[in-house]
Amino acid sequence: MLAPDGTRRPHWTGLVDALNRIGPEGLDERWQEGRRLIRDNGVTYNVYGDPRSTERPWPVDPVPFLIENGEWAEIEAAITQRAVLLNSILCDLYGPQRIVRDKRVPPALVLEHPNYFRACRNLPVPNGVWLHNYAADIARSPDGRWWVLADRTQAPSGAGYALENRLVSLRVLPEVFGSENVRRLASFFQAYRTSMRALAPRVENPRVVLLTPGPYNETYFEHAFLARYLGYTLVEGGDLTVRHNRVFLKTLGGLLPVDVIVRRQDDAWCDPLALRPDSMLGVAGLVEAAWAGNVAIANSLGSGVLESSAYSAFLPALAKHVLGEDLKMPNIATWWCGDAAARKWVAEHLSTLVIKPASRAVQFEPVFGASLSAGERKKLLEKIEANPNAYVAQEQVALSMTPAASEGHLDARHLVLRVFAVASNGSYTVMPGGLTRITSSIDSLVVSMQHGGGSKDTWVLADNPEPAFSLLRTSSTPLQVSRATFDLPSRVADNLFWLGRYMERLEMVVRTARAVPPRLYHDPDPAGVGAISVCWRVLTGGGWLQHEDGKAITEAEWSRVKPAERAELLEREVLDMVCGEDTRYGLRIALKEVQRLAWLLRDVISADSWRVLKQLEMQFLADPPDGPLLVSWAQNLLNHTLISLSAFSGLISENMTRGNGWRFLDMGRRLERAHQTVQLVRNGLGFEELVNEHALAAVLEVADSTLTYRSRYLNSMQRDLVLDLLLLDEGNPRSVAFQLARLREQVAELPESRPTTGHAREVRLTLGLLASVQMAEAHELTKANGSGQLESLETLTAKLLADLLLLSETLTRVYFTHAVASRQLASR
Amino acid sequence: MKLSAQHTTTYLYSEPVAICHTEVHLSPRNVPGQKLLSFELEIRPEPDFLLSRTDYFGNSTTYFSIHEPHQTLTVEALSELEIESEEPPCPELTPSWERVRDQVREVASEDCFLASEFLYRSPLVGQGTGFGAEFSNYALTSFLPDRPVQEAAFDLCRRIFKDFRYDPRATNISTPVSEVLKLRAGVCQDFAHVMISCLRSIGLPARYVSGYLKSGENTRGAEASHAWCSVFCPGFGWLDFDPTNDTIPRGDHVTLAFGRDYSDVTPVKGVALGGGEQIISVSVGVGAPMKTRRGTA
Repeated sequence: MLAPDGTRRPHWTGLVDALNRIGPEGLDERWQEGRRLIRDNGVTYNVYGDPRSTERPWPVDPVPFLIENGEWAEIEAAITQRAVLLNSILCDLYGPQRIVRDKRVPPALVLEHPNYFRACRNLPVPNGVWLHNYAADIARSPDGRWWVLADRTQAPSGAGYALENRLVSLRVLPEVFGSENVRRLASFFQAYRTSMRALAPRVENPRVVLLTPGPYNETYFEHAFLARYLGYTLVEGGDLTVRHNRVFLKTLGGLLPVDVIVRRQDDAWCDPLALRPDSMLGVAGLVEAAWAGNVAIANSLGSGVLESSAYSAFLPALAKHVLGEDLKMPNIATWWCGDAAARKWVAEHLSTLVIKPASRAVQFEPVFGASLSAGERKKLLEKIEANPNAYVAQEQVALSMTPAASEGHLDARHLVLRVFAVASNGSYTVMPGGLTRITSSIDSLVVSMQHGGGSKDTWVLADNPEPAFSLLRTSSTPLQVSRATFDLPSRVADNLFWLGRYMERLEMVVRTARAVPPRLYHDPDPAGVGAISVCWRVLTGGGWLQHEDGKAITEAEWSRVKPAERAELLEREVLDMVCGEDTRYGLRIALKEVQRLAWLLRDVISADSWRVLKQLEMQFLADPPDGPLLVSWAQNLLNHTLISLSAFSGLISENMTRGNGWRFLDMGRRLERAHQTVQLVRNGLGFEELVNEHALAAVLEVADSTLTYRSRYLNSMQRDLVLDLLLLDEGNPRSVAFQLARLREQVAELPESRPTTGHAREVRLTLGLLASVQMAEAHELTKANGSGQLESLETLTAKLLADLLLLSETLTRVYFTHAVASRQLASR
Repeated sequence: MKLSAQHTTTYLYSEPVAICHTEVHLSPRNVPGQKLLSFELEIRPEPDFLLSRTDYFGNSTTYFSIHEPHQTLTVEALSELEIESEEPPCPELTPSWERVRDQVREVASEDCFLASEFLYRSPLVGQGTGFGAEFSNYALTSFLPDRPVQEAAFDLCRRIFKDFRYDPRATNISTPVSEVLKLRAGVCQDFAHVMISCLRSIGLPARYVSGYLKSGENTRGAEASHAWCSVFCPGFGWLDFDPTNDTIPRGDHVTLAFGRDYSDVTPVKGVALGGGEQIISVSVGVGAPMKTRRGTA
């Protein structure tokens, strides 16, 4: 923020004045708001090697980093120049290899690089562009000069986080943003979209997909965020397949051609046939499809070869040779240890240098020569000597500082700015802004999100206000109305189906756990005892009550428990269902499963639904109180959980387009609800001697049908009526019959359900299920045989459960078989 | 001399394979002393897509995919060749190995540049910490100061033949070459990789050659696909050595393809979806040309 002479750079005045006006407390308040936005939007960054959890909220600082327009113009020109240069180098390395022949770059640096893919040499790339998306990490020294620290040519990350940071700073400092003429980011993303579309010139409305390695990647959030923002389908390698040398997306509606792949997966892993054979993430045949010109990939496969700081040693000369220009922004002085003369120099000057890996093939943290003892230096030099090509030495540069908010006051931090460029019209468009990253403390020199650093929005201050511009109104030719929802990857349908099932399962756990405690401490009259026994049956039947070894508690064991101790036992068990971290079939396990699936589905779940889920998560963070308050605390938690859960499922099912995605979610829910309700009826109503008013009331409550029952029969509790309402009444949205009717409708709409003759298996199954409840009669079902058992109810419920299981398996086989693993064929 | 070669690879699966993508390096390339007269590739079931290209190293490669479910895949290659027995250079006339090393390092000519491709680590050779001292130590016993490169390389070849046991059960396709060096056992691919590692560890360009061997008494590796290696010598070109048979390939060896190591020129490799358990069988026959061409079988 300070100029070399110690005075404040003038373009900071507006922001500093505003911050003074807002004051530390005001800023803190606004920051809370910003952090809430981040939490609600689920902005995360996965940290490798963190055992507690792989996800961490995105650390952002409320105070933006400011750059004045003139200075920015220089950065922009320098980044464009560098991108053009790097692209020419790629063209040469994957073409005539002249710069290697002429030793302008040492052959070893290229030929030994694990990302120099020989299968990609002379690959025809659209418009001769290998490098579509480029990012550079740049930093300023205290004298005000900018330096390039590193190049990102493989699959640069951060543009989406930059956009997210912008949303946060707009929330925190809206008035300053307006008055300071901050340049907007939308124009960059517009250029990005145009550029990606232009990669498939032969196709009028190309299908562009964003290829991600999956949810365990450190920047998966960004992949999902960008895919949604740019309107691309987010795919994993397993969602794509190559047929007849064309790439297709596997969807419920069949195979859809893919024209452009925006690649966020390292090239090595993209094709197990032509590239790394051990890749489980790739698409076999992709390289061949690229050779045929049937698919464009951005960045081109092989572009990762430039991700080595060693190139910095040769770029100044290459700029002169290739472009006839000097580098507009110098890179940090760099020595590649593979060169004997450079190695000697490095050995003599180690105390002023930082040693880094030459490529991502070798992984170690940067080593600062200054901080090593004489012995450690000697050891390091020996390591370098043994494998010199793997090491690079760079001059240690002092980084300039920027203010960052820290515990209510402003603190100074070192910063590195990541700048983004996208190839467009024969040159590059640079994002007017970028991702500013700061060190975790004033002393730290390593800027890394993996090491707990933070990030900031970057404001480029224009002289005049920019015309408002939005990505939503850019299309020059209007799009046709489209109602198609067929490009849903089968993997997503699979996850939606199970999300539906787990949402219902969770709800059932909550309702059951909630219904039991109020019935435990009635007067010890026979009626109360009956209710307790029914609760027990429902709980064991649902699999909730078990011994430690997973075996169900038997009837005989239960009967040995003294009646006076039964209530206590059940209370303990229910509390364990609610509080136990890893109780099988417990609340937290079911919730974790819902969260996991929702996380996998982040790109298809709305931001609102995501927020509700985050709230639900927060409710479970509090520690349960000790002693007598525990039961009421648990009841309260269950009530709140039920409300959040209803909001979540309501948002999801109400706001989702009525396409196949929604259909699978709904089928999952119906199937699970039918299953749970059949279980409930079977265990709660199936035993003659125990059923009394209290028991019937408990069962009605678990099935959420108390109101419907009362509206029909007032207060008279009768088993056949309850059974009819829960099992057979198609007018009750909680009944089994209702779920089955819905399932039948949904299944009939599925893309594979219309064979030329007869019905598909899943259709026949739903028809049979529905018919068996339609033909049943409540009075018949409640007739007991000589030994007091309800035989026909038992037969019906057993058949329903078996057929529901069969239906689930059939749907999985027909629609989700994409999960079959591929394997290598090789022999020697 | 005319030779014909038949190479059949069969995959049997316990469950149907839904789709497979396969890449083969089965067409013999023209090299000094070897001319390809005819080549046929038979694939069953019939591929839905097939395409042949020349790869980075100039080998002919064919890519194909089958989209119909199948439980057997057969790839059969039939080649007819004209092979001449070429005399290897007189060892004493070849330059010292240090001179070869320095010329390639300095990229003294276009040939040296092309050879430098075979100087570095590659997917199956030199991985991990690079070519460790164990390889250069083993090599330097043969590569005495100022020794002509041909003489030293042949000595290395003989030592590998003597020191290593031919044992198909000792290693498998994923045994690292450093492990082979410790085991002192393996098959032709392993011995070729060991010799390549030794040569590269002292700065000499070495490439992997995939091919066939005409069966005869006391030859090893004739019943399946064979492999050996060659070392570059400026002015003389690439000199072949077969450490599995302690020979300099001449007349009995058919060159299919060459690359940095096995991974560049795997005869048949692919990715299949499904399939369950698989059984692979490979048969190779090299001999005098067949009188009648294969019938309808």
